[in-house]
Amino acid sequence: MSIIQRSLEWARKHSTAVQLIVPLILVGVLVQMFGSSLLVNVYTFFCVSLMMVLGVQVFMGNSGILSFLHVGFVGVGAYASGILSTPPAVKAMGVPNMFQTLVDLQIPVLPAILLGGIVAAIIAAVISYPMMRLSDAVGVITLFATLIVFHVIMTQWDNVTNGPRTFFGVPEYTTLTVALVGALLMIVLAYWFRESSMGLRVRASRDDRHAAAATGINVVRARYAAFVLSALMAGLAGGVWAHFITSFSPKAFYMSEMFVLLSMVVIGGAGSISGAVIGTTVVTIAREVLRQVEASINNAHVLSFEVFGLTELVMAILMVAVLIWRPQGIIGGQELKLSRFKFKKKEEVSNV
Amino acid sequence: MINLEFVINTLSLGSLYALLAVGLVLVYGILKLVNFAYGEYLMVAGYAIYLSAIVGAPWWATLIIAVAASMLVSFLTEIAAFRPVRTKSMDALLVTSFAVSIFLQNVVLLAVSPRARAVPLPDFFSKTVVIGGAVLPLRNLLIIATTAVVLALLSFLMKKTVLGMAMRAAADKFTTTRLMGVPANFVISAAFLISGFLAGVAGIFWVGRSGSVDPLTGAAPLLIAFIATVMGGMNSPIGAVVGGFVYGLLFNILSITLPASMISYRDAFMFAIVVLFLLFRPEGIIRRGYTEERVG
Amino acid sequence: MTTPMLKVDDIHASYGAVRALHGISLEVNEGEVVALLGINGAGKSTTLKSITGVLRPTSGSVTFLGEDITSRSPEKIVKRGISLVPEGREIFGALTVEENLRLGAFASYHRDRYKADLKEMFELFPILEERFHQPGGLLSGGEQQMLAIARALMAHPKLLMLDEPSLGLSPAITDDVFALITSLRERGLTILLVEQNAERALEVVDKAYLLANGLVEVSGTADDIKKKVDIASVYLGGEDAEGGEVQL
Repeated sequence: MSIIQRSLEWARKHSTAVQLIVPLILVGVLVQMFGSSLLVNVYTFFCVSLMMVLGVQVFMGNSGILSFLHVGFVGVGAYASGILSTPPAVKAMGVPNMFQTLVDLQIPVLPAILLGGIVAAIIAAVISYPMMRLSDAVGVITLFATLIVFHVIMTQWDNVTNGPRTFFGVPEYTTLTVALVGALLMIVLAYWFRESSMGLRVRASRDDRHAAAATGINVVRARYAAFVLSALMAGLAGGVWAHFITSFSPKAFYMSEMFVLLSMVVIGGAGSISGAVIGTTVVTIAREVLRQVEASINNAHVLSFEVFGLTELVMAILMVAVLIWRPQGIIGGQELKLSRFKFKKKEEVSNV
Repeated sequence: MINLEFVINTLSLGSLYALLAVGLVLVYGILKLVNFAYGEYLMVAGYAIYLSAIVGAPWWATLIIAVAASMLVSFLTEIAAFRPVRTKSMDALLVTSFAVSIFLQNVVLLAVSPRARAVPLPDFFSKTVVIGGAVLPLRNLLIIATTAVVLALLSFLMKKTVLGMAMRAAADKFTTTRLMGVPANFVISAAFLISGFLAGVAGIFWVGRSGSVDPLTGAAPLLIAFIATVMGGMNSPIGAVVGGFVYGLLFNILSITLPASMISYRDAFMFAIVVLFLLFRPEGIIRRGYTEERVG
Repeated sequence: MTTPMLKVDDIHASYGAVRALHGISLEVNEGEVVALLGINGAGKSTTLKSITGVLRPTSGSVTFLGEDITSRSPEKIVKRGISLVPEGREIFGALTVEENLRLGAFASYHRDRYKADLKEMFELFPILEERFHQPGGLLSGGEQQMLAIARALMAHPKLLMLDEPSLGLSPAITDDVFALITSLRERGLTILLVEQNAERALEVVDKAYLLANGLVEVSGTADDIKKKVDIASVYLGGEDAEGGEVQL
């Protein structure tokens, strides 16, 4: 009884996290048990996207700085984890110019993913401190320029990444369960950071950086903490993604992918974790539907030409429409919260 | 190493980049919007040339159509996308411009082709002239001359006309400018039209260099415009011009001095230098005491 | 009595979730000089912003010369004949004095009278002629205030609104500003003045509204207000008013 009461107490206090986690698990279980393989795939991909989006959100949502760079950290995580875990024979064949030391490396997938996240975090920790001084347009463009530096290095450093060519043969590891656990972990991390004193300081600086600085908050350091954590999360997400998709090229970590991530963050509402989850859900569903439409148009051969880019086109229109309709995103920067749990919900909640 | 050829090449590259940067900064000044769709206005100019060549328009008409197409698309994107989100958050505006950029890319992808299309340009674009022993593409001299004329016209417009005054005032204090009776939509539309004009002119020379256009043509010039404007200072067209020339110079110097094995990393060096520069001087080369007031 | 030139009827306004006005009503008749008094945050500037269309009231109406101008855009309202001298002067710093004045005339520009208007401004504010080609940002605070008023007058307003014209100015220049208001009043210009320095304001106005917490607390002629309200109280003392509670 006291355990139930205590979990109830905990759930009430952290109703946001609970409300996001419970449905994710429920849907995951349902999809795993009854879903078609396509649905399992879509849900797995959704969970992986959610990991990335939460990585972006931890920085963007808390600091209020639009970041184009995070897709670069996803790439770092993906390459690092891929290189660390792919069998030497595959690498020797697939990446002809790779440094011999890297070819010989092989560790199990899970530690490889973790190391991928850590590599991304280390890179972020080394380069980002001075950038955190910049705000507004200059800050946005600096992060954008840094993404280009990342991209050039990924496409040119063929001793490591296979250059612009596809890096393939990454061992498959990411199942629905792995992706779901990853996504839940990210929610907990994002939630923990948001509620931590450092998170509070970053959010204070988002609302008014001068006022925050005047109350003794070191704005640069607070942003820096958020940035490094979010790079870690993006890197981990990249690793999980790499072991789902198994082959990729630097193109996957550039503008159009960043657009997808940004649309997920912005459509839901950049200011909150709930927004990230809702945005990812909406965009994933919309994209899947559009892709099906595009495929069926092309398969029906009613048109004399192939339809390319319809999905992106409609996504772009949708996004502008959402921004006009609700510039703060669907849920407007607020976290979902239940003011009180009804007695009936007690069982469900105490199961968490 | 510093010979006439280097100077002319740097000047022509700098001119092109200056045009690009000024077009971007005009809109930034008033809306505080870093317009990600700006590169697509150049791409539109490229496709306009491609299409008018198909119908067999004479070269002068082709060039006019190209510039007009850029202006029209710039204007339409402002009306349809930017105006409704103008008063919302800065992020909403930025992401909107990103969406507009993706939209325009995919429109040509769907309507024309994902593959590059050849863009025929008048013969004199590919002629060369010999000056002081240096063989120079006539195109490079044309860019310099065109830029000089365009910037002089722009400077006249901004300094001597009431529209220019209103635009400068709006870049400084937007709400107060409206209180003078200057319609907000009017100055913003004007800024987008001029921005489109500059993109169109720059677009002609941009596709003239490669001789082809594809849906992603706009990405590279957009980046150059970004970097040149932040380097020069986001708050004034003069800063943008300076930034454009500095960028051109930096690019040519790196092209000459980097060892052959590193040349493919040139862009990474460029952007790394820019990032470093901004860390020490976030306001850019030209400082201006403008306020950061956003359009409300 | 004729219909008032400006009639503000029960306007409510808010900044996001923060409600600033809870139903302000006021009237300004032609030829009158009216003051809005009150401490910081009472809703004086918000009222002016709602009249000029910078801020959209959530409810209520603003009628000017018999026409409903509620929620019109600022550029349309200035063309109807309401000019605002904004708080903090808001001079275009990078533009010259000449250009500032030219933009001031934007709303009602006539080539024929422009030169004469400029000449009139030079008579009212000789300093502006001296500084004609200098950037507005290089002027002193007092000179900027003169420029801001001249800029508003260039539009030939029927109603001139001044938002805290004496804010941050030295006592001598404050005297100049109030002398100017008196002389504009003598020329028959209708003025709505927002001022924290209530004592000074009551010397030059016909009528005043005392605002507190987004509501009109007291209104009446200048003499009425002086009688009804203890000027020596914390509230009307000007500088002493900072943080003081409204006691009426």
